[in-house]
Amino acid sequence: MTRKEFLVQFDELLELPTGTLTGIEKLEDLEDWDSLAMISFMGMVDEHCQIKLSPRQFVNCETVNDLLDLTKLPAV
Amino acid sequence: MNPMDLTGRRYLVTGASSGIGRETAILLSELGAEVTVSGRNLDRLQQTLGELSGAGHQVAAFDLAALDEIPGWMKGLAVDRPFDGLVHSAGLHAMTPARSISAAKIDALMRTNFSAAAMLARGFSQKSCRRDTGGSIVFLSSVVAQAGQPAVSLYSATKAALTGLAKSLAVELARDLIRVNCVAPGIVKSEMSDQMRESLAPEQFDAIERMHPLGLGSGRDVAHAIAFLLAATGRWITGTTLIVDGGYLAQ
Repeated sequence: MTRKEFLVQFDELLELPTGTLTGIEKLEDLEDWDSLAMISFMGMVDEHCQIKLSPRQFVNCETVNDLLDLTKLPAV
Repeated sequence: MNPMDLTGRRYLVTGASSGIGRETAILLSELGAEVTVSGRNLDRLQQTLGELSGAGHQVAAFDLAALDEIPGWMKGLAVDRPFDGLVHSAGLHAMTPARSISAAKIDALMRTNFSAAAMLARGFSQKSCRRDTGGSIVFLSSVVAQAGQPAVSLYSATKAALTGLAKSLAVELARDLIRVNCVAPGIVKSEMSDQMRESLAPEQFDAIERMHPLGLGSGRDVAHAIAFLLAATGRWITGTTLIVDGGYLAQ
């Protein structure tokens, strides 16, 4: 899976039209980014990237790109 | 005479490589029972085996995901000596907010937590697997089967399914003197709770801890209740769920 493909899954998670998120979005501007979305995101990363994240790793994330960095996925 | 003495009895414990399962295996051995410890990881089972008291114990590595193979596997384990009971402590926990529910997650959680329990009960009900004098089955349910929490709907559902399974099996198997019960623990300190702590923010886990008036429990706290249901102390108890939760559901 690539970052681009992961973004599509992220769109779905936040109930946004496919292709909405580009990565530069600020998390605080995303209406549906809440604690449950965070848990869902961690589940997605575990499932697709075999990485177990901890909420502590989210503290310094400000943008969607910051989150994607945690996935260690290639850009393309 | 100690009514919880298990000398001369033999039990199968699934999920015995960690947490409540491991503590249960150790306690049952301390009460005099011979224990067959089961799990997927042979090395970790050997570790549990090393902690058991007494003799006559057995390691049986097995992946319960192979549901159809469970009754035959149990028959093989009982070939020399039948079991007096079984404890299904193997369990899978996952945080699944509604928006992340998928068929694969439903299947995975149901398979380990519920379907394996049903197949283990079927295995135990085979005449060659159990003693003529009856037996006792204990499933590990959970407090979240009785009071909801966010993000654990699938896990809760699998644990609630066990209480229904236990009730009808209890009625059906009573004629063979097989008792079937559940223990519903709150959160105990274990690998599973460590995993939960990792997947939550510290304040979220602290809130969960505060929901247990007596604090978080230990695997041993739950093992005691399981042993009570297996031993002569549980002789007239079947189809019920024993809550062991430090007061979680009292509120």
